[in-house]
Amino acid sequence: MNKASVVIIGGGIIGTSIAYHLCKNGITDIVLLEKDYLSAGSTGRCGGGIRQQWSERANVRLAMRSVELFQKYSEEIGLDIEYYQGGYLLLAFTDEGVELFESNVKLQQEEGLDVKLLTKKEIAEKFSFINTSGVKAAAFCSSDGHANPHLATMGYAKAAENLGANIMTRTKAIGIDVINNKIQGVNTDKGYIKTGLVINAAGGYSHEVGQMAGVDLPTESYRHQIFVTEPVEHIMDPLVISFENNFYIRQTKAGNFVMGQSDDDEKPSHNENPGWRFLIEMTTKMPKFFPFLKQMRVLRHWAGLYNMSPDALPIIDKSTTISDFYYAVGFSGHGFMLAPAVGEAMAEWIAYGKTRKVDISNLNIKRFAKGVTREKNVV
Amino acid sequence: MRYLTELHVLIAGGGPAGLAAAIEAGKSGLNVLVVDEGIEPGGQLVKQTHKFFGNENFYASVRGFDIAKELLKEISNMKNVEILTESTVIGIYDKGVPVLHRENDEVELLKPERIILATGASEKFLQFENNDLPGVYGAGAVQTLMNQYGILPGENILMIGSGNIGLIVSYQLEQAGANVKAIVEAADRIGGYEVHARKAKRLGIPMLLKHTIKKALGGNKVEGAVITEVDENWQMIAGKEKEFVVDTICIAAGLTPSVELVSQAGGNIRYIPELGGYVPERDNDMRTTASNVFVAGDVSGIEEATTAMIEGKIAGLNAAKDLSRKIDEKKLGNLKSQIENFRSGPTSQKVRQGLQKLGFTLKSESFTKNSDDNIEKYEGKKRPVIECPEPIPCNPCETSCPVGAITVGESINSIPTINYEKCTGCGICVSKCPGLAIFMIQELLDSEKAIIGIPYEFLPLPQKDESVYVLSRDGEILETGKITQVTNFGNKTPVVYVKINRGYIKTARHIKPVSHSKNDYVCRCEEITVEDVEKAIDEGYTDFEELRRYLRIAMGPCGGRTCRLNTLKILSKKTGIPVEKLDPGNFRPPSVPTTFKAISEGSEKNE
Repeated sequence: MNKASVVIIGGGIIGTSIAYHLCKNGITDIVLLEKDYLSAGSTGRCGGGIRQQWSERANVRLAMRSVELFQKYSEEIGLDIEYYQGGYLLLAFTDEGVELFESNVKLQQEEGLDVKLLTKKEIAEKFSFINTSGVKAAAFCSSDGHANPHLATMGYAKAAENLGANIMTRTKAIGIDVINNKIQGVNTDKGYIKTGLVINAAGGYSHEVGQMAGVDLPTESYRHQIFVTEPVEHIMDPLVISFENNFYIRQTKAGNFVMGQSDDDEKPSHNENPGWRFLIEMTTKMPKFFPFLKQMRVLRHWAGLYNMSPDALPIIDKSTTISDFYYAVGFSGHGFMLAPAVGEAMAEWIAYGKTRKVDISNLNIKRFAKGVTREKNVV
Repeated sequence: MRYLTELHVLIAGGGPAGLAAAIEAGKSGLNVLVVDEGIEPGGQLVKQTHKFFGNENFYASVRGFDIAKELLKEISNMKNVEILTESTVIGIYDKGVPVLHRENDEVELLKPERIILATGASEKFLQFENNDLPGVYGAGAVQTLMNQYGILPGENILMIGSGNIGLIVSYQLEQAGANVKAIVEAADRIGGYEVHARKAKRLGIPMLLKHTIKKALGGNKVEGAVITEVDENWQMIAGKEKEFVVDTICIAAGLTPSVELVSQAGGNIRYIPELGGYVPERDNDMRTTASNVFVAGDVSGIEEATTAMIEGKIAGLNAAKDLSRKIDEKKLGNLKSQIENFRSGPTSQKVRQGLQKLGFTLKSESFTKNSDDNIEKYEGKKRPVIECPEPIPCNPCETSCPVGAITVGESINSIPTINYEKCTGCGICVSKCPGLAIFMIQELLDSEKAIIGIPYEFLPLPQKDESVYVLSRDGEILETGKITQVTNFGNKTPVVYVKINRGYIKTARHIKPVSHSKNDYVCRCEEITVEDVEKAIDEGYTDFEELRRYLRIAMGPCGGRTCRLNTLKILSKKTGIPVEKLDPGNFRPPSVPTTFKAISEGSEKNE
């Protein structure tokens, strides 16, 4: 019978980051279960943006720590993950939008972030590829950026494997064995693994994995769609977002433009099929802001799941009823960019009983009892 | 140390001649010291990776570096023979022989009773424009770098000179992964053995006869070369220049004997071009005109390692005889007739002419022709085809054949003949032939196919069932064939058997791997090669989607139409999982790249 000190469920960026950071802190007797292949779920389907401009202070701190870790990634892990700090440009089209950015920028600057407001004229000068008609202002943080989520996941997984972790792909967790509120092991389609500690990093399936242990997590999944164009020469440094017009767009290192929007009509589901309406809305909307896109061709269109929490902030905690059942879930579409800091914090918590580099206590599950303040900077 | 007090024989040079001389002199009980410049002794042998011609008593069909090992092993068992490495005889003086120990920069004056000079030769250098640019090498330096130290001097090479060294080094450069753009030869025919030339031709290396190098191109290093045609007087013809993009120019223009010490010892030297330049006058006991000084090997005239070893033995025996040791006179006589036999063939004509100028009379033999036995009569039988076109002193095919089907005969220079009745098709001769000039053939009578067995000295060896390109004698791709068998035993040359179309049985003479070219793209959109995919699989990416995400395979405009199945097949081959059991990955829309305009405007018409 197999056994391990820690079983992680989920082979996306969160699970592999936790695995790597646990190994780095000396806990190498780990099994990571991935039902498909590495980055098969939300990680491999996401836009790859890495931003620190959040409206909630705790999110800003966590994101800033992540950027520190992304900057060290290729040296530490030995893999180039196409990390590019071209900035994030958040466009405001309304007075309310400008006001929100003004207060956000103040808060973010207090946290030490290199963020500033740009006037319409400055935007037009700096980013000539944008049609600025209707734009009022923008918030710009030059140390934001993007990276390749697949490579980042594979890098963490290989590094963890090299340190002794057992990464089991094509292996599905089908049950968590709990007796007297104590975890005994995990049942998989490839056999039973004896363990006393389980981490739920199951992304779009976090609620279902919680249920396996009898823990009802307040997360649900929504389809989000995205597509990529054919590659062209590099012209776009920053990732550009508009909350009001509901889009984000970035150019990958290979030259493709990746873009997406959210859809208020989506219902909770595990539907990962791309839909035609999205394609029409995006191909109609995007060339208005980026005229050069009109002649470009769409190469691939897909969908992934946003695992939403009630306030669109992650839930990083351990169960109060089942001992040693940890979870890092509900990232609400922003797990990739937070993963290095979350993996580090989770590993420290498990290894030393408390986090060292960054405080994640505000992301506990008890916060929902007091009511919900929703993160505003969400696409 | 012993050699300082009672030194009988000092041998300058620890190559094949010097070591052979040391062994013979040592056997008589004399105290012998070999002084050698190298970090390791063995001379040119240690960098020679090809198999030697000759007869099996003299290491025929053994690779040069293995010969060195065998000689050194024999010497290591003799307490009275020592080898001093990293040391040089700096002169021969009236008071003795000063030896410089390079490591501690000290000179010691030794007083041997006899001296054997086996100092070998140095490379001839050509004069042409920019011949001082880094990237212009002598062939010996290339062999030292490549075969002794594992350093490839360059990627794209122009070889100047088609003597045996030029041919062999070209072949070795290709074995090591370099690309030899051409072999340039000023004469109107190839200088070296035909079998060596054929080995190089099979790799597709062009041979440019009546051409010579005019200049090297480049600023700080070689970036190219200009060659030009020459007329019958070897003068460059204007307007006939050709340019090559190369990073290395390798000069194999021949060798000239290193006779400095002979002259200093008082021995007469004479200029005899047929023997490479100035050579010592000597008798057939290898004694120079300085009575206590013998010579052996290339210093006495440029030949090759087998004759160098025989000369070394003759010199060693005579030095012993001089010092009143009992020697085997019969052996000495045999050695003398052996070396004469070696030199009796047409490839030694030049050496014979040179030696005649030194006053020797030498026999030249007439040779047997190819056998009358007709290979065509034995269609369907697995049998060797011997393509040994010119008489060279070599007979391992005869001595290795377990059933006596191959005959070279009394004269080692004769061309082998074969009796197909006796032949059992074992293929040992193919793996023994130093010239890689024997192939196995077998027609498969129930089909239009045939099997051909090819001696193959390239790594990695192909695997059974692997598909390979089948090449002609000129290195042209004829077809793709499947490997049916690979034999690889000990020091024998590996033999690969490949199934080919029967029509190519007389033309197919080499293979090359299909999948190891740097430009074999699996995914042309994203320029992912077979090698990239195989490497990623080795790193542990064993799902199609993982390979896609790691390498960007199938992320281009074709959407994986051409590369998906190819990638899955490579994955299947590497993992042993049949394709039907692999996850073929996601098929994302749109199935062809579609413009924003087409999608957005299409919607308006439909609404």
